[in-house]
Amino acid sequence: MPRLPRSEWYDLTRDMNWDLSYITEDEAFPPQLSNSFGVPAHDWWAWDEPYKITYSEYVHNQAGKDAGVYSVNNVLNRSDIWDNLEPGWRAAVIAHYGAIAVAEYQAGIGEARMARFGRAAAWRNMATFGTLDETRHGQLQTYIPYQALAKEPKFDWAHKAYHTNEWGVIAARHLFDDMFLANDAVSMAIQLTFTFETGFTNLQFLGMAADAMKAGDFDFGALISSIQTDEARHAQQGEPTIKVLTKAGKADVAQDLLDRMFWRAWKLFALLTGFSMDYYTPLENRTHSFKEFMDEFINKQFIDQFRDFGLEKPWYWDQLLNEMNWTHHAYHLGVYFWRPTVWWNPVAGVGPAEREWLEEKYPGWNASFGKYWDTMGQNVRDGHPELTLPETFPVVCNSCQLPVCTPAGYAAGYLESPLPYVVEYNGRKYTFCSEPCKWVFEMQPETFAGHLSIIDRLLSGWIQPPDIPGALAYMGLSPEECGVDGTDYDWAGPVPPATKSA
Amino acid sequence: MATRERKAPKTWSLLGDVKRRPSVYEVTASQFAYHFRREPAPFEMSPDAPINEWYLTHREGSVFNVDDWEGYRDPAKLTYSDYVMLQHDRETYLDGLIDHHESASSVESLSPEWVSTLTNAVVPLRFPLHIMQMTALYVAQMAPTAFIINASNFQAADEMRRVQRLAYLTKWLANAHGESIASTDAARAAWEKGEAWQPMRKALEELLGVYDWGEAFAALDLVIKPAIDSLLGDSLAALAAENDDELLALLLAEFHRDAERSKDWTAELVRYAVANNPALAEVLSTWVAAWTPAADALVSSYATLLPGADTAAVVTAAAKARADLLAASGL
Repeated sequence: MPRLPRSEWYDLTRDMNWDLSYITEDEAFPPQLSNSFGVPAHDWWAWDEPYKITYSEYVHNQAGKDAGVYSVNNVLNRSDIWDNLEPGWRAAVIAHYGAIAVAEYQAGIGEARMARFGRAAAWRNMATFGTLDETRHGQLQTYIPYQALAKEPKFDWAHKAYHTNEWGVIAARHLFDDMFLANDAVSMAIQLTFTFETGFTNLQFLGMAADAMKAGDFDFGALISSIQTDEARHAQQGEPTIKVLTKAGKADVAQDLLDRMFWRAWKLFALLTGFSMDYYTPLENRTHSFKEFMDEFINKQFIDQFRDFGLEKPWYWDQLLNEMNWTHHAYHLGVYFWRPTVWWNPVAGVGPAEREWLEEKYPGWNASFGKYWDTMGQNVRDGHPELTLPETFPVVCNSCQLPVCTPAGYAAGYLESPLPYVVEYNGRKYTFCSEPCKWVFEMQPETFAGHLSIIDRLLSGWIQPPDIPGALAYMGLSPEECGVDGTDYDWAGPVPPATKSA
Repeated sequence: MATRERKAPKTWSLLGDVKRRPSVYEVTASQFAYHFRREPAPFEMSPDAPINEWYLTHREGSVFNVDDWEGYRDPAKLTYSDYVMLQHDRETYLDGLIDHHESASSVESLSPEWVSTLTNAVVPLRFPLHIMQMTALYVAQMAPTAFIINASNFQAADEMRRVQRLAYLTKWLANAHGESIASTDAARAAWEKGEAWQPMRKALEELLGVYDWGEAFAALDLVIKPAIDSLLGDSLAALAAENDDELLALLLAEFHRDAERSKDWTAELVRYAVANNPALAEVLSTWVAAWTPAADALVSSYATLLPGADTAAVVTAAAKARADLLAASGL
């Protein structure tokens, strides 16, 4: 191998900062795509990535990692592992691919934005690797489900989801567009790489990889662990960006960017990871509850990282702690009830043993959320599964685009009022599920005010006919694609035969 | 369950009823740019949010458009995995090349005159090459299909590859011939103030300010990059060989392989675009004509940094490189 150690020449690969002469700073770095927040150009040149890597090391490492993942998939795809996985785990994996695969590819476009509009050459290089990484993640996470399409037609949603207006996909796009695809380079470094990748996905992927191995899904486990090693590297673009902002006296900018995206990430996390951890993962494979996971990895470890950079907990911390007790239970209930509107087959995950576990992890669960399941279980046992299915629509939050669950939070004793938050802006009424969601909107009304939630679209006549079948068609769900109970109502106990596959 | 009763699909449902089973390259890129021409706006926010307007103006609104970009294929048909496997092999080759020349102390034995040429003409190159990396990433983030996005992203990574090997060489030169060769300030001063570099800097800075995705593609990939690639791959490589610098000649030959891959996907994109919208031939030719004087100026100015090189030959080589690419593109 070449004799000079990387440390001797590395700085020469990233010192390409210069003063523009033939166009202006704003022409080269338009604020829409690169908001400097008033930090002078030369201050950005101090941007110093904590993780150093060269192109040569990158292609050598990545070639080996890709060979590993593809060879595992090549072997396991010929096995019957998928068919033998628990229905809950299968639901979690199908939901994951739909929500994440093509989104990761779009993160590559976001990384390319930082690689072009980042304000230091060192940063642009790191983001160039990030672009390649996310291309990898988009391609791996479509390739693997593609190979298994014959076994699992629902894997079509790994590719199709982002072309649809399925409500969860609208919520995911609304979040991810704000976070990276339609974000400027500087905000993205704080919001995508620091807040989301360092705070949420990095840890989630570690957790999911471990759960996958326990559930026997070695293919998914190998995939997720390999992806996580890339994320751990390119997520480190946030730290130096925070340091530059802080040094320039702009810590408040970093704090604000963090606060807004932390809440937004929490909401999607509460939906997807919440039901995956507490309801879909088979009981015997669970290592911790969603709340314990949030407490340990996000609230403690990630908070320590904020503090290292002079940032503080977001102002809504008490509300976050409150929501951790109940929001994901409400989302799970909603997803199960509106199961025809999702592309996976939700499992209830509330058999007797699961309920015991839920009560232990969330004292009071049986007396609050358990009651809804009691009613649904009774309806199923009485031979009326149709009563566990929706005929109307929920109210949707104009910020997170997820159903407003304040009545459930109120009924469970966690909120003082069942009412949503409402804002009038330019003559239009906007509804929010929580005070921070309302605040996110009010911080950037020009970005969000013109957007219509799926319920706004229904009321505006975009969705015809304005009923459940019309909405399902609008969401891209054919009758055979609509979610059904993933265990054929096994959770409800002895069920009349006619109820099965209803 | 309902899902088990369906017929096994042949491919992604969005690809329709295909006769041929699509390749891995195709199924891991087809229709990934779902936001292109999405209604009412590319991104899930206010349709008139600034970034929506940016894309609607510079991508959907570009005159460089056809009805369907999804039929385009990069001739190299590279997935991410293919790209890193390919470059892993090529970097292994370069590692071996450098090992050999380190053992032979090749850089240590270069003549002072040639070291001076390298200092003036090669060391500052990391600045313009980095701007070409940036611009390729702009084209990528604005392109209407993943088949173009990926090709342009890999091209940007190739530019970084070239910058990094030249950075290594710079340090090696500095260790052998004087620390000042590796001075950032000296390289930046040459780039910002050196007379011979100014036409190149002017062209590349102006290219940074081009935001129509079609013009950014045409200016970079049909005009400016081929000119700079010719300077390195044709003229500088030949001069290196004449000055017994086999290492640099072979490094540049290796980078030329990457440049050829860029030309291949570029020419194919032009052919595809014109085949689908014949009016684009004139659009592209107009952009080429608009950027050609800048390319010619940077070539003849850079030639003055190459003592012993025949300026006319340098200019001719670059002109031929452009003409060949335009011919291959059908323009």
